[in-house]
Amino acid sequence: MGNLSAVGITKTIGHNTLLSDISFSLEQGEILGLIGPNGAGKTTLLECLAGLLAVDSGKVCFNTAPLPHGQRSQYLWYQPDDILPFAQHRVATTLHFFQKTLCQSEQTLLQLIERLDLSPVLTRRFQELSKGYKRRVLLAIALLSQQPLLLLDEPFDGFDLRQTLSIIDLLRKFQNGRTFILSIHQLTEAEKICDRFLLLVSGKVLALGTLADLCLQAGLPDTATLEEVFLAIT
Amino acid sequence: MPLPDPQKRCKGSAVSRLIFLQELRSLLLSPALWGMYIIVSLLVGYSFIQAVSLFSQASKTALSYPELASGMNPLEGVFVPTFGAYYLCQTLLLPFIAIRIIGLDRYNGTQKLLLQLPVSTLGLCLLKLAAMGLVWIVSLLPAMAALILWKLSGGHVFWPELFCLITGHALYSLTIITLAMFAATVSDSLPTAAMLCLAATLGSWVLDFAASGKTGFMAFLGNISLAAMLRQFESGLLSSTCILSFLTLGILFFLLTVAWLPPGKPRIHKFFLTVLICCFFVSTHWLAQQKPLYLDVTENQRHSFSPEYTMALQQLDKPLFITIHLSPQDSRLHDLKNDVLGKLQRTVSTLSIDYADYEQSGLFDTGRDEEYGLIEYRYGNKQDKSYSNSQEEILPIIFNLANVKTPRTLAAPHAGFPIVINIEKQKYLFYCGFPFLFLGFAVYCVLRI
Repeated sequence: MGNLSAVGITKTIGHNTLLSDISFSLEQGEILGLIGPNGAGKTTLLECLAGLLAVDSGKVCFNTAPLPHGQRSQYLWYQPDDILPFAQHRVATTLHFFQKTLCQSEQTLLQLIERLDLSPVLTRRFQELSKGYKRRVLLAIALLSQQPLLLLDEPFDGFDLRQTLSIIDLLRKFQNGRTFILSIHQLTEAEKICDRFLLLVSGKVLALGTLADLCLQAGLPDTATLEEVFLAIT
Repeated sequence: MPLPDPQKRCKGSAVSRLIFLQELRSLLLSPALWGMYIIVSLLVGYSFIQAVSLFSQASKTALSYPELASGMNPLEGVFVPTFGAYYLCQTLLLPFIAIRIIGLDRYNGTQKLLLQLPVSTLGLCLLKLAAMGLVWIVSLLPAMAALILWKLSGGHVFWPELFCLITGHALYSLTIITLAMFAATVSDSLPTAAMLCLAATLGSWVLDFAASGKTGFMAFLGNISLAAMLRQFESGLLSSTCILSFLTLGILFFLLTVAWLPPGKPRIHKFFLTVLICCFFVSTHWLAQQKPLYLDVTENQRHSFSPEYTMALQQLDKPLFITIHLSPQDSRLHDLKNDVLGKLQRTVSTLSIDYADYEQSGLFDTGRDEEYGLIEYRYGNKQDKSYSNSQEEILPIIFNLANVKTPRTLAAPHAGFPIVINIEKQKYLFYCGFPFLFLGFAVYCVLRI
């Protein structure tokens, strides 16, 4: 496993700059929270990192070596938000498909099914599920991946507090030294799980660091919450 | 740079097999597929029963008059109309199935996950194409049933002709499927993709219709339309030009799909790849036109002269010029092309054909001068002319000009295959049997997959 770094990622569509010169690096086993208001460019940044969106300039490196577009999927797994993978298939079929294609063990899949309480919906079709169950299935697919870097878009969206806490626990259990980038808009949850934060506003990095670093940058005491820091900086 | 954990990556073949099965499941869960199968069964049944009925009626007369029997050919009389049902389905229904295999994955986000699996974009597209190929093969079941019924009823089948016909439909389907995949790749919604695809297929159909009876550029365009290329296979004449044109069209759209599918590649790369792929297509198409090869696979060799005539014609070492004073819409020109000119073009490499400028202004306006209808022949410094469009009269003229003795044809005239069959009772196989079978499978798939 190794470090990921993004250098000068810029993405424009027409005259709109979606991402402007984004640079950051990650240590192995770190959890980076990508926070920012709606439309800040969080999903765009994740898709650019995963190679699913072309960038105008900038590069993604793994252990300082540039990671070509075609090799990204060997190192990164990106779980998009709000997708309906194989919507007409049964949940069990879809989970088994990803378990096998991602070369994951049957035991891991069974653990995920148990931890995410997916047993009641295994025989149902994905498109028929409630929003909460859809999110859980997507999370299960993400955790079946074995790439050293996992990019999750809004993993806590659609969950209540108890479920969110359970998922935070699950993510920690399944981390196994992997590096996570989580795009989160619930700041309370982000504070609970992330080691560092990248505050993105209008496609620009406003702050990057631990909560203590952000407090310092915002001129707030160490005891300030992420919400207070966010409001102060933005 | 080594992989982080290569041991944990699955073998490509295992992943490919899983993706192929998943694509098949997606197709089997598509109501459109089963709808197409049911419609194919009904159309094939109707076409087959009508064709056999007409063939039998014509055969009754032919059995009394042997000279009429030589024209009784099961390929043109039965199989081409039967497979005509496939032409309709391939043009109007198959694109909707093929669009789904790319389009649905794009619009519901599955593609974002598929592109991250350990399989290349080319591999992914090939697997989708393979799944569609299997679906197409299953759609041939009603035609196979028709073929078995025909054989069991004592009907004659000449396998090379039938193989040529099926090859034509396979290549046509390949083109339609890859076109639909490409349309789904570059469109922002499934309806737009369907519109693009239908515009191309129906446009080609209209082009073929509009170009009939035209000369020059319109005739060239008409000849490269999908319908015209398929017609050549239907006639039992395998042509390298048509095979290569179909194949390159299929490969063109397939490669364009591969080039445009990955959303993360910069647009400039995609345009560059598109230009390269189009250059490959144009050059292959041009090469295919340069020295066409033909194989007459018909049982009565109706697209070729007899071996004796062919040998005699191949002795012509000087250019043979033919000038035709007929308007493009004249049916005599159509017969002349089918019976003589096409065969001459495939036999005599030094042949040059000119058409005098005649534009027909009305349906029955057949000409304005005495030369209308005349066909002039020039070989070396000798020339001749005739109004005949019959092979039996034209070939002696050419042999006389070339000082070649008109050979005697040794082959016995083709006897034909007239047969009177009543398959009215078997219509239930196509109108009930197959539709209910497909419906049953559709229900099974919905319940079990």
